[in-house]
This record gives sequence, C-alpha cells and structure tokens, in this order.
Amino acid sequence: MTVKVFHAELGTAVATGLLGVAGVVGANELGHGWTESGPEAGYFPFYVGLILIGASLWNLVAAFIHHRRAQAHLAAGGEADEPFLDGERARRLGIFIAALLAFVVVTLTMGIYVGSILYITWSAWRQGGYRLPLALGTGAGFALALYVIFEVIFKIPLLKGPIEPLLGIY
Amino acid sequence: MGNFDLLMHGFGVAITPMHLMLMVGGVLMGLIVGVLPGLGAPNGVSLLIPLTFALDPTSAIILLSSMYWGALFGGSTTSILFNIPGEPSSVATTFDGYPMARAGQSTRALTLAFMSAGFGALLGVIVITLLAGWASNFALRFGAPEYFAVYFLAFAAFVGMGSAAPMKTLVSLAAGLLLASVGMDSVTGSIRLTFGFEDLLGGISFLVVVIGLFGIGELLSTVQEGLRFRGVASKIDLRDVFKTIAELPRYWATYIRSGLIGIWMGITPGGPTAASFMSYGIARSSSRKGAPFGTGRPEGIVAPETADHSAGSCAMLPMLALGVPSSATAAVMMGGLMIWGLTPGPMLFATQPDFVWGLIASMYVSNLIGVVLVLATVPMFAALLRIPFTIIGPMIVAICFVGAYTVSNATFDLWLVLIFGLVGYLFSRLDYPLAPLVLAMVLGHKAENAFHQSMLLSDGSLGIFFSNPLVSGIMAVGIALLVLPKLMAFGSRFRRRVPVE
Amino acid sequence: MTTIKTGLLAATALLLAVPAQAEWAPSRPIEFVVASGAGGGTDNFARTIQAILTRDGIIDNPVVVLNKGGGSGAEAFLYARQNDGDPHKLIFGTNNVYLLPHVAKLAYTVEDLQPVAALALDEFLVWVKADSPYQTVMDLVNAAKDAPGTIPFGGSQSKDTDETLVALIEQTTGADFKYIPFNGGGEVGVQLAGGHVAANVNNPNENAGQWQAGAVRPLCVFAPQRMAESAPISGDMGWHDIPTCKEQGLEIDSYQMPRTVWLPAGTEPDVLAYYEAALQKVAESDAWKEYLAKTSQSASFLTGDELAKFIETSEGNAVKVFEAEGWTAK
Repeated sequence: MTVKVFHAELGTAVATGLLGVAGVVGANELGHGWTESGPEAGYFPFYVGLILIGASLWNLVAAFIHHRRAQAHLAAGGEADEPFLDGERARRLGIFIAALLAFVVVTLTMGIYVGSILYITWSAWRQGGYRLPLALGTGAGFALALYVIFEVIFKIPLLKGPIEPLLGIY
Repeated sequence: MGNFDLLMHGFGVAITPMHLMLMVGGVLMGLIVGVLPGLGAPNGVSLLIPLTFALDPTSAIILLSSMYWGALFGGSTTSILFNIPGEPSSVATTFDGYPMARAGQSTRALTLAFMSAGFGALLGVIVITLLAGWASNFALRFGAPEYFAVYFLAFAAFVGMGSAAPMKTLVSLAAGLLLASVGMDSVTGSIRLTFGFEDLLGGISFLVVVIGLFGIGELLSTVQEGLRFRGVASKIDLRDVFKTIAELPRYWATYIRSGLIGIWMGITPGGPTAASFMSYGIARSSSRKGAPFGTGRPEGIVAPETADHSAGSCAMLPMLALGVPSSATAAVMMGGLMIWGLTPGPMLFATQPDFVWGLIASMYVSNLIGVVLVLATVPMFAALLRIPFTIIGPMIVAICFVGAYTVSNATFDLWLVLIFGLVGYLFSRLDYPLAPLVLAMVLGHKAENAFHQSMLLSDGSLGIFFSNPLVSGIMAVGIALLVLPKLMAFGSRFRRRVPVE
Repeated sequence: MTTIKTGLLAATALLLAVPAQAEWAPSRPIEFVVASGAGGGTDNFARTIQAILTRDGIIDNPVVVLNKGGGSGAEAFLYARQNDGDPHKLIFGTNNVYLLPHVAKLAYTVEDLQPVAALALDEFLVWVKADSPYQTVMDLVNAAKDAPGTIPFGGSQSKDTDETLVALIEQTTGADFKYIPFNGGGEVGVQLAGGHVAANVNNPNENAGQWQAGAVRPLCVFAPQRMAESAPISGDMGWHDIPTCKEQGLEIDSYQMPRTVWLPAGTEPDVLAYYEAALQKVAESDAWKEYLAKTSQSASFLTGDELAKFIETSEGNAVKVFEAEGWTAK
C-alpha cells in the first residue's frame, strides 16, 4: 500500500477545515456578535473557525496546484515525488498503530496494569525477538515500577480493571 | 543593604542539617515527578501538602519549593531524550534539544539544559533578593489590558518569525485557539464547543495534547524509519559534561537576554511556559549566523531553559508579596501558605522575615543541589537510550498514557492522546509547525479572557490598549516584533533583487 | 397490593442489610473528589480534612485526593453521577453543587448527589481600595445609583457566588455596577489593590494580605452578626470591628458560602451515618478549629435535616436572583 503526499495533504486540509466548521457551528449556538460590553462568548471561536476554514482551503488548493505541477514534471520525464508512505514503512507503522489501539482498548477494559504488561510483553516477544519469559518479566517489572511510583509513593490511583480488586489492590 | 543582611539571616535559617535533607529529598522527588509526563510539579506539590502539616512553615515551603525546582530540572530531561516534554514549560526545549540528542550529543544537550536552568534560577533569585519591594509594586500596575498586552507580546515574539508555510502556521495557530476555547468560559460563564459531550466540559487539557503531539507523534515518526531510535547511541563520558560547561560563556548574550525575559514574565502574569516560548522566539530572530534553529543549536536549548527557570523562581515573588501566583505550582504553594496560617501579601516580608528570607536563601542552596543532582543523573538517563527500541518504545507509550490519565483521571484523555499522536505525526510529516498550536493552547484562552475583561472595562473601546504608557509600550513592542521581521525580510529581498536586474 | 409491595421492599432491604452487618466501614481506599483545581479554597478544605482524618486515625483506610475542577466544578459532580452508589467516593464543593445546574445546562441534577455535611461558612465582605472615597457600603451604592453602569466591581468567575452577590446588591438597592469577572479571588484582590476595579466581594482570606498592608479596606460583612473576635489585622482593626452590611443600611441579612461534602446518590444509609460521624470528629478537632481561624471562616457543622433546610433556603434565595437576572439555563 502506498500513500502519496498529495493524498495526505488533502486529508489533513479537509480535517482541519472540518474542525473549523465545528468551531463555527458551535459558536453559532452561543451568539458571535459584538455587544456594548465587548464580544459575546462565541465571537472568537466563530472567527477563528472561519480563519481555519479559509487557511485549510488555501492549503487544499496549494496541494492541488503542487500535484498538477508534479504531474506535469513527471510527464516531462522528471522524477516522481517521494511517497508519503510506501510498502514496508506503511506495514511497520500500521502494526504499531494497531498495537497502540489494542493497548488503549485493553487499558480501558482491563486497566492500565494489564494493558501495559500485555503490550510490553507482546512488543519485546514478537517484535524484539526476546524469549517469552524474559519479555513477560520485563512487562511485569514495568507494571510493578508503575505501581510503586504512582500508588505507593505518590498515592495517585491509576486506571484499574476487574482483575486488580480480586488481588486486593484497589 | 538591608536586604543583604536579611538574606544572610535567611541563610542562617535555611542551612540546617534538617533543611538540607528536605532540599535533597524534595529535589529528588521533583526530578521523578518532572520526568514523568503529565504528572507535573503542581500535582507533586499538592500531594505533599498534607505531609507538611507536621512541619513548621519554613521547613514546609523549603520542601515544596525544592520539589518544584527538581520538577523543572526533570522536565527538560525527557524533552531532550525522547521529545516528550515532562513539564509544559519544557516544550520549547524539545525544538533544539531533541535534534541535538538525536545527532549523538545527548550528554551535551542535557548539560546545556541543566546549566542554563541553574543559571536562570540564580538570576531569578538575585532579582527577588534585590528588588522584592519594587517588583511587587510594579506587578500591581497590571490590569486586564496590560495582561492582554503581555500575552500579545508573547504571541508576537514567537509567531512573528516562523519558517514554515504561512498558511500552515495559521492552521496550526487557529486549531490551537479553537481547542483552547472548549469548555467553560470564565468571563461569560457559558459552556462552549462541547457539543453535549460531558468529557469536554473540563476543556481539552493542554498537557494531554502535548503528550500526544510530541510523545506519541515522535514515536510514530521513529517507527516509520525502523524500530530503533535515530542515531542516539553515543558513548557517555563525564568529560563531555565538563567540555560543555567550558563552552557556556560563549552564549552570554543569550543568557542575559533570556534571563531578563524570564524575570519579566515571572513577575508579570506570563508564567514560565510563555517565557520559554518567547525567549526561544527572540533567540531565533536575533541569531544571524550558524545552523538554523530547530536543528540542534545550543542557543535553542539555552534560551528556553534560562527563561523557564528565571520565570519559575521569580513567580514566587508575586505569590508571596501579592497573593497572585503566576504559575500553577505557585498557586498550589499559596494554598499551602494559607493552610499554614500565613497570609500572602505585602506585609509577609515584614511580619514573617524568617519564612520569607529562609525561603529565598533556600532557593540559592536547593537550585545548587538541583544542578549537581541532575548532572549526576545525566549518564543514567543517557544510558536509557541504549535500551533496544522494542522494549523502551512500548514503555514510553505506556508512560505517556499513564501520564495523560493522571492529569485529570479521565479515560477520555487516553483517546485524545491517540488522536493527537496521529495529528502530531501527520503535521510533522507535512511540515505543519506544532509550536503555534501549543502556544495558542497555553495562552489563547488567557488572552481572550484578558481581552474580554478589558472590553467590559472600556465599554467595548479598543482604545484601552493604548490608554497609558505601560500598556501602549508593551503593545508597541509586540506590534514591532510582529511586523519588523516581515518588513526586514521584504527589504532584504528587495535589495538582493536590485543588483540582479 | 401496596402492603405486599412495601413488605417485599422491606424484606429486600433486610436481605441487603444483613450481610453488611448494620455498621458500614470502608473496605478500600477512599477518593476525595475536589470540585476545584489544586490550590483552590475547596482543595485546601479537602486536604485539611484528609490530613486530620489520617493523622488522628479517624479513618484507617488510605485517602486519595482527585482534583476535578473543570467547568467550575461540574466535572466533579458529573463524576459523582457516573459513580452512583459508590460508597468510597466523597465529593467536596461549595454551594456550586446545587447552584450550577440552574445557570448552566449540565447533565446532572442535585438529586444525583447526597449531602453529607457542611463544615464551614465562608463570609463575604465588600472591599474597596484604601484611598477610595467610599466610607460605608451605602456610599458605594449611592455612587453607583448616580452614575449607573460605570463603577467597575470585580469578582471571581461569571454567574458564580460573587456575581450573584453583586446582582443581589443591585436588586436590593436599585444600583447598577459594571461587573468584571476574573479567574479567582486572589486575582481580584490584586486588581483592587492596583486600582483597576473600584470594589470586590472577596472572602476574608482572599484579601487579608492586602488589608494588612493597608492597600484595601473592608466596608461591611454579609452576615447576621459580626465576625468572631480576632487579633488586630490592620492598624487596630480586627475582623470583629467590621460592621455588618445590615448595620450600614444595606438590607441583605446574610450571604455565606458553605463548604460542603457529598456522596454519590444511591448509597446505603449506613454509609451516610459513617461519614457523618467521621466528619463530626473532624469538626471537633483542634486542628480543624485552627484551620478555620487561620482562613477566617466561621464554624458551622450541619448534617441531616439542618443541612437540607440550609440548602433549600440558600438555593431558593439564589434562584430568585438568577431568575431576576435572566441567568437560568433552560
């Protein structure tokens, strides 16, 4: 799978533009006028939203123009731009993001300790090529360090899942 | 020389075996708190407050302030090594600190940061010692329009001379301003841009965004290049530390300028984070020769660190003398003061000389202890980078998420970290600058509040921003910083063109 | 039919109560959820209680403090609703618990929380700059009547306790001030000392430092009687020497802010009794009295019906002001 810089630029410009639209819509509910006692609550979000939309459109057009030029350059026998992501990189990044996502989901359901043990173990074992017991030990050691620093020393409770109460840890 | 005698008296109060122990303990705890992103000095200090009930107020404030210094030192460590700012005020340190570490000079970068920090703190304390009375009177002159002018100045100093595409800078800035306005607006009392989501009621935390943008974003960029940190495995040599210390005098101009900016922002309501950004911006615009900023320039580390720490120590002054904290940590300490039965205000210096001057004297000592301790940890932290990425990478990820969770114990923030991680990766790949977004999140809402308050005071007339010499002066400097670089760039382009044609 | 239902309910209640052995006691760490940021008045309130509870061994379980100050504290109260029936979470606030839902559209109501106790009352005073021409509160009010909408009156936050009090003064007297919201009491205090606003309604400890230095002075206190005797603060004046606003002819009997503790709704009655008893011990401790004296708050320990009555009156009065100002959120 290959992603071109052009597509990434388009996607980003559209996303920032949508954020601007959200700002304008949200500000519209609050009123964005200027009263005798200065701006209303929605004044700044409204205009900042408009500026964001405008700047995003500019970037969108700029991306198109750049793309057109690059195409012409290519047609004239020039070299293609470097892609945003190509096969190997995309695969590596995809795996990392998928693991991140899995980590967040496991953390939300099982708590941060289980989440980080699984995540660190998996990474050391599957990606780092360490033996499973060693990987598991690393993960567990890390979780223990988290527990000691946060819960014991600083008395800050971290996110826990259904398992910790069974072990008497709240 | 009354202040000098009082300071000597303060040293008598501060230097006891018990207090020295508290300083070492406080600095060490602060280092841990500072290194962990999300868990910052304000949290750390507030957790210690109940413990201080058993101490007398002077010992208590020495413990708390030592922790603050420790956290300020610790925050720079992760900025430089992993591009993850441990404290909001060390965001600007990542801009040049991380590239320098990546180029294999992590020891140099860390040493530069710590020495500058120590110097900044020292400068700040000297100002407090000499100018306590004058400075607190000066701070009283700041009403809403002056606050706005200071924020405007900070924006102008930083944004005026970016190198990225102007429209991309604008997108980044506007996105930051929008994100900052989510949640309850204290001037109008209305809830803005939450679209009915309860999770957004408290606003989008600046810390969570920074952890995502810088921490996770940087890891994504690293992974894309391969499963290892880019070129950081340098050998650690204590001689590097001394070599770096020897090169420090070269940056004297940056030191003095950044120290002054820090002092100014610490006394007025800007705070350390704004000070470090502003100082970095001004250092960038006033440097002419050498490698561009953002590629590991030593001045790019010296400037924000010096300003950060001089602002951090000067922020103690308005807290003690006026009861106005200009940093989040100072706010927590002030809460402590009230519980201990001390009333912050102009009379505190007269009624509690032991406390005030003991604290000031302890600032000299504990910052010295801080520099020594933190330099001793340099080899240890630099060694972290030798751990294989497949082990340390996921640990950093876990610490980022833990840190984001501890900011307000909200699970929603975990999603925000993930989203802003992707945003950070996309933005840095496509050359959108991240700094304007961060600065807008720090100052955007404060600036808007001050603007709104000014409008209430003046019945909607913008003339209030030029109504007295102080506010007009600050505004004029701000406008100059915004406009002059553009004019100069235009001018030089024009001049360069003439001979060609 | 109804008798059977009641009987069934009673039986279920018994069944539930028996394993709990009547007396409830916490079985895990207790969370103190604070409706303000670190360093705020509510934060100090909660942390003082935390320190007394653990130091005097009133509660053996560890206590952890969580700050959820977002949305003027609404974050903490929403958190209570999300954790209903959880006996290990106490929520610390002021009167904002029951006033916020009136002025902002929020996803909780006061029924989502169970009041446990009020432990202190914070007083409100009218302060002016030391060299200001106003000698009594009526001077200030009359000046605002002569020049409506021009005298800047500083306060903390918008549609919160301070602005409510200023609105109440306006509604009582017909004066018209220009209210300017700032971020906190300390900030308003400095704005007053610097002469950027003409007056404020800060709590005693928010302005004490400036008063001590002779930069500001109090005009009157919104309490039924004068504050407790104290050592002189400024010159030979102490807290007791400040007249009440009523003495000076401003017809507002009392305006005080309670410091309150709440549980999420839906806990067992035993839980409430347990915390009431624990907080009672706190209120009787010397450390607590010391805290009240140092922060110039008035002692007042309210639970049960007394507390319910206090909340009802306080809420009713505030809602009247909100309605007159058109602040009620619908």
